[in-house]
Amino acid sequence: MSNGLNRTKWEPYVWLLPSLILIAVFVVFPILIVFKLSFSEISKAGVIGGFVGFDNYVEAVHLPAFKTVMLNTLWWVLSVVILSTVLGFIIAMVLNQKFRGRKIARSILVFPWATSLVIQASVWNYIIKYEYGSLNNVLLNLGVIQQAINWRSSYQIEFVWECWVGIFVTVPFVTFCVLSGLQSIDGSLYEAATMDGAGFWKKLRHITLPMVRPSLTVSTVLNIIYVFNSFPIVYTMTKGAPAHKTDTMITYLYMLSFYERKKGPATALSVIGFLILCVCAGIYMMTVMRKEEEQ
Amino acid sequence: MRYPEVRQQNRKMLLLLITGLVLTLTLMSLPLCSFDVGVYTKKSGNTFVGDEKYQAARKEVEAIAEEYRGQGLDVEIHEDVLERVNSKGKTTSLVTFTVSQTFSRNVFSFIGCGFVSSAAAAILLGLMILAAVLTVLGLSGTEDVLHRYLDGRTRTLRSLAVTALVMAVCLVPVFILSNNVVFSRRLSLYSAELITEGREIFFSKLDRFFFDGGMGENIGDALQGLKLTASPLLWLMAATLFISLVAAVSLLRGEIRSGLLRGGLYVFVAVVCVITLYPYYVMTITAFRSNAETLDMYYLHMVPTKWIWSNLTDIIRRGVPRYLMNSLFVAGGATALAMLCGIPAAYAMARMNFRGKKAFLGFVIMSQMFSPVVLLIGISQLMNTLQLNNTLWGLMLINAAFNQAFAIWLLRGTFVSISSEMEQAAMIDGCGTVGALTRVLIPMAAPGIVTALIFVFINAWNEYTIATVLISTAQNRPITVGITQFSSFNMIEWQYMFAASLLATIPVVILFMSIEKHLTAGLTSGGVKG
Repeated sequence: MSNGLNRTKWEPYVWLLPSLILIAVFVVFPILIVFKLSFSEISKAGVIGGFVGFDNYVEAVHLPAFKTVMLNTLWWVLSVVILSTVLGFIIAMVLNQKFRGRKIARSILVFPWATSLVIQASVWNYIIKYEYGSLNNVLLNLGVIQQAINWRSSYQIEFVWECWVGIFVTVPFVTFCVLSGLQSIDGSLYEAATMDGAGFWKKLRHITLPMVRPSLTVSTVLNIIYVFNSFPIVYTMTKGAPAHKTDTMITYLYMLSFYERKKGPATALSVIGFLILCVCAGIYMMTVMRKEEEQ
Repeated sequence: MRYPEVRQQNRKMLLLLITGLVLTLTLMSLPLCSFDVGVYTKKSGNTFVGDEKYQAARKEVEAIAEEYRGQGLDVEIHEDVLERVNSKGKTTSLVTFTVSQTFSRNVFSFIGCGFVSSAAAAILLGLMILAAVLTVLGLSGTEDVLHRYLDGRTRTLRSLAVTALVMAVCLVPVFILSNNVVFSRRLSLYSAELITEGREIFFSKLDRFFFDGGMGENIGDALQGLKLTASPLLWLMAATLFISLVAAVSLLRGEIRSGLLRGGLYVFVAVVCVITLYPYYVMTITAFRSNAETLDMYYLHMVPTKWIWSNLTDIIRRGVPRYLMNSLFVAGGATALAMLCGIPAAYAMARMNFRGKKAFLGFVIMSQMFSPVVLLIGISQLMNTLQLNNTLWGLMLINAAFNQAFAIWLLRGTFVSISSEMEQAAMIDGCGTVGALTRVLIPMAAPGIVTALIFVFINAWNEYTIATVLISTAQNRPITVGITQFSSFNMIEWQYMFAASLLATIPVVILFMSIEKHLTAGLTSGGVKG
């Protein structure tokens, strides 16, 4: 958009400069550092040596936990993103109806979104404790169970709990994105469809879904990125124990570089994670661009 | 207009409603709760059934049972035989004699006994009567009026009847579950003397309920082995009440489907809200428990037995205010910086045409894709070089940088949605671009700017990962890292952790609620246009 006034050629760049510097120094520069480190020899004490080619990558891929961690990451991202998208969509559909108490329900749903992840993970960590956790307490009190249940009897189950917390904190974001999409739909579309005899499912497929697709795309892609990058939940609840069996890539590389002093493979993993994110980002940009061209 | 067929329909529904209520009352008067009260237990030594030792024990128990019968109790003797093999290879039996009485109670008998479940039963009964009365009142004189033409008063009466029945249906599980709490959990806690407060009163209530006050002092021992068996038929009360509810809905609306859908909707919303609030409930009550209580299953109370307000003063002594101030400093500074850099950039993106605009937009969006976590190693290296390690300034800069993308995204969306005519007028009047921005656009875009501001603030406030890596001394910790100090390898002080969490959570939740509406609109529109 141009306002028709004459500007010097370099003026817009002056306006952009502060932002550009901030991002360049604190986002782009660390990326470059990580890339450089991943090809350098790093001693256990953290002293950076010379160029070693792909040695760090080879070492990273051959780490005993590498395969488990990658699979965990895949499960973690897929389950959390898919389930919270479905749940969030359903909740948004319900909250889009007019009913008494809708405002209260919306405000309540904001809670998990606004709360720090480390706090939520700590609370859930307490809830599912076997000896004194609140879930056993409440269920016993209500008479639903007669004996305390060990909610974290194996690491697989602990991982499922971590996914549940991930879903719990992600659903509100999806809900609000979809809600804003739903609210932009013209009510007359539904009326016309009803006149034509369309049922609930038909309206959902032919009006609702196409209309909220942009919001859904945004929320899904952002969620993939957030969930992939999510650190506090796994770190607080299990710290990846036992033996990295519940680690995702992010917590694993943290453990590698700050606990196990294997900075070399850790940087290699960082780069791999970075590239995965790049692919996601690329796909996202392409869908958005194509959408714009279609319109 | 009068419709005879409406009258017929309404009469049918009234009949259905009354049938439902009568069925419920019938269920309530059936003795569906039975209590097995073991008044006396004796274990025989190692015996064989029928030998001398056994006979002696049996006789002793019978004498005791007789004594109880003399007091007017209707007791029976049960034998439990446990067979086992002794060291000589002989099979012996351990016989446990219990002198017990079975009490059967119907729901009405709970009323007036002062338990939680008594209150539930009383209210349930009251609501049913109320619903019946309201329905009859709501029908008198209007039973042949089509639903569409009902007057306000009738509508109110009929919808109140529906409300009363909904509450009645909800009270059925409340009754059953609270019964369970009273007669197994609470009783066993009192019997084992894990809690003592209110013990006397509780037992005298039980004495009145079971023995008409006849047990006196011995009531505690008498009820030691009490077992409640609630018949599943109690749940039928919910079903019969539901029949009445359906009838009442149909009286109000003329059809049942929409009413039931609505009910389903409320149930769904309620379930979602309860699950969402559950961790916050846990956080709040745990924050005010004593340390012993947070670590003990036997404090089976949904709320603390004693609210420990000193937890708050304790965490203040242990540095939480310092952490909160650190967080405030980091988040406030990061927000200010992100806005100072973001507003001009967003303004340029919204109002100016220049080469590389698309590239910059791509650059911004890409930068948003990377949470700092994947770059942790790079960031800590950079901070070492800049000598910003373990400083709040470093944390602030990182937070500002990683929130740039969102800030620009949100702000650009806001600026684009505002027409540029006012600014142009201002510029023709002699304002520079800066003047047009600060005096015209920023005031007009205030809601969007506040939204972006609060969003960045909350993100920075809640940030945890970078802070754990960059901050190494206690005095520089922000609150998110600060709360983890209450959990060490061998001991977790949950009450302090959650008290601090509560302080860290309440302000941001309130802030977030205030911007929720603007934020979602900004996020998606920005994303779609981005």
